[in-house]
Amino acid sequence: MRKISIIAVSGIFLIMGLSSLGLAASTKEAPKTIKVGSSCSLTGPFGSGGAMCKAGYDIAIDDINKKGGVFVKEFNKKIPLELFLLDDESNMTLTVSRMETLYSTNDVVAYLGGFSSPIHAAQAPIAEKNKVPFLMVGTYLYSVHQKGYKYNFSPFPKSPDCAKAVFELLDSIAAGQKPKKAAIFMEKAPVGMELGDMWKSESVKHGYGEPLYRDQPREMKDFSPLIMAAKAEGAEILLTGPTTPEGITMTKQIKELDYNPKFYFAYRAPDPIAWGQALGKDGDYVVLGPGWNSGLKFPGVKELNESHMKKFNRPADVMTGPAYACIQVLAHAIEKAGTLDRAKIRDAIASTNMMTVIGPLTFRPDGTGVVVYFCVQWQKGKQEVIFPKQYATAPFIFPMPKWSER
Amino acid sequence: MSSHRKNIFLGLGIAILLALVPLLTKRNDIINIMVLIFLYICLAQSWNILAGYTGQVSLGHAAFFGLGAITTRILWVGGYPFLMAFTTGGLVAVVFALIVGHPALRLRGIYFAIGTLGLAQILKITVGNILPTVADLPGDYIATYNLIPRYYLFLILAVIMVVVVYLVGHSKLGLGMVAVREDEEAAEASGVNPFRQKMISLAISSFFAGLAGGAFAFYQVSYYHDLPFSPTWTFDALLITFVGGVGTIVGPIIGAFFYAIFREFFARAFPELHVFIFGTLFILVVLLLPGGLVEAVSRIRRLIRAKKTDTGFS
Repeated sequence: MRKISIIAVSGIFLIMGLSSLGLAASTKEAPKTIKVGSSCSLTGPFGSGGAMCKAGYDIAIDDINKKGGVFVKEFNKKIPLELFLLDDESNMTLTVSRMETLYSTNDVVAYLGGFSSPIHAAQAPIAEKNKVPFLMVGTYLYSVHQKGYKYNFSPFPKSPDCAKAVFELLDSIAAGQKPKKAAIFMEKAPVGMELGDMWKSESVKHGYGEPLYRDQPREMKDFSPLIMAAKAEGAEILLTGPTTPEGITMTKQIKELDYNPKFYFAYRAPDPIAWGQALGKDGDYVVLGPGWNSGLKFPGVKELNESHMKKFNRPADVMTGPAYACIQVLAHAIEKAGTLDRAKIRDAIASTNMMTVIGPLTFRPDGTGVVVYFCVQWQKGKQEVIFPKQYATAPFIFPMPKWSER
Repeated sequence: MSSHRKNIFLGLGIAILLALVPLLTKRNDIINIMVLIFLYICLAQSWNILAGYTGQVSLGHAAFFGLGAITTRILWVGGYPFLMAFTTGGLVAVVFALIVGHPALRLRGIYFAIGTLGLAQILKITVGNILPTVADLPGDYIATYNLIPRYYLFLILAVIMVVVVYLVGHSKLGLGMVAVREDEEAAEASGVNPFRQKMISLAISSFFAGLAGGAFAFYQVSYYHDLPFSPTWTFDALLITFVGGVGTIVGPIIGAFFYAIFREFFARAFPELHVFIFGTLFILVVLLLPGGLVEAVSRIRRLIRAKKTDTGFS
């Protein structure tokens, strides 16, 4: 009896699980919706970034569906988009399972990314294995595009874009005022190492000499050895890439140790509004490369901001724009392909050449997007675009004022 | 038929049914969930033998899982036969466990738990710093990647693990472990060597956790090298065992099914609230069924028996 009960309980779980998976559609008639899927972190350490992406997808799909959906020539009609978004809990193992669910259960024609490099690193091979076009969002990771994958695309800046843009910004400073010597603190993680190496070579290439390079061990709390080394070397350029909590701690310690770089660039850490809230005035003048800014004047940005304002009472967040652009790219590719065949949609994405809310966009053969890299600076508690100059919403403030003069 | 035989036939029957799943469906999502369930059974069962049977609550289980994963992945991708890499992964975890177990098992209760947690965290950070790259499979491995062999590997491992725990649980060794769990001094007075029992228990536990890590390295296409060392693996094992029924053979199995399927179900049905709902359900299970879901089964059984008695059936 006891064993039968155990089997019965296990059976109930199994049946519940299997029935919840539903049955994949196998009809050749026009589908009611075009299914797209995202395994996106809504909880866990990447949850806030994932939520920004979700907002972008929701608004973009609403905008397209209000007009009837995407025209698919194969069925000679417009078909609305339907998003299946599953929370991967910022977990690299769960995200693989979610990607398989989206493929097998929901029969999605394309995957959409989320936020963070580790999650995208786990997702990319699954998209390739299942031959489902994948539009990645919040990741700088370049190496994932160097593996010969055919189905991975990313309308988002990558490490080489960041490395190049930062030194172009420095080159724009008047000759007599240019800062000397760079210090680089980078986390021992794939993005940190690839971007760190690129910054090193760009520093030499642009005449700033061999930089001071320090590994930033994971989960570091005391940055004083790095800061003191940079101060002792007289480094006037600080380039780093901590997480937001680490970046806040690092900045507080930079102030406490009275280290005064003239230029302070951090990728990732200053992106969210939490930076300004936690650091107040001390967070100002830091330069970042979040990939997008709501102050840009590209077609559709104004409407995106209005929709975001209605939903969240603020203009669109930094990840929302690139996520919105993913849907623009996908809808355009489906129309161009005229079919829901994944391989043909993939080919259409590869030949993208269009204007989006993140600006003009094409893809390189490795799937990385040819996108404008915007340098943004915190000024009076607000993020302002400062570079390239034609997109600037405020002038670049250089040098960063000394702590004692603020 | 003796209850021992009944159990063997029952287990065999379930294993055969599970072996048929890939023949009945080609859907990777179902195979994937089953793989995760088997992984959780392996993890929970290996944790259960140390904590549930011997009473040594380890919070460093991820260290053994991680060592198995890292060893297997490096050797396998390095060109060694998978089975060799896989077995070596399990053995490396045992060697490490025995080295650290010698001093650590002299600690008791909360001190042992905190000590093992600290150890696992040290390993995680060290691995993250030494091997910060992505452990992804080479292109030719991805091109030939097939979930079905992974499914059978995990299934076989889970079956072996359940059988081993069953046999240990019904042996003199198992009785010694339970005696240590219940009262170490009394066990010692009865002629049981508590330290020896704990070391054997740790060796079995770490070997199977290492093998589970090796299977994970075979299954997961891409991850950071320090991911298998993450405390999540320890707490998953702990939660599954507690929710299923600690110190029982079927508890971790039921717990693993509950954990994987409900988690998936809620994640699909309530994408933005699933963690809250699942967490609440977990708390309710622990509050209402302190003995785990196994207790629910016993209660249902008692209820049915009582009803039969009331209605005059025997």
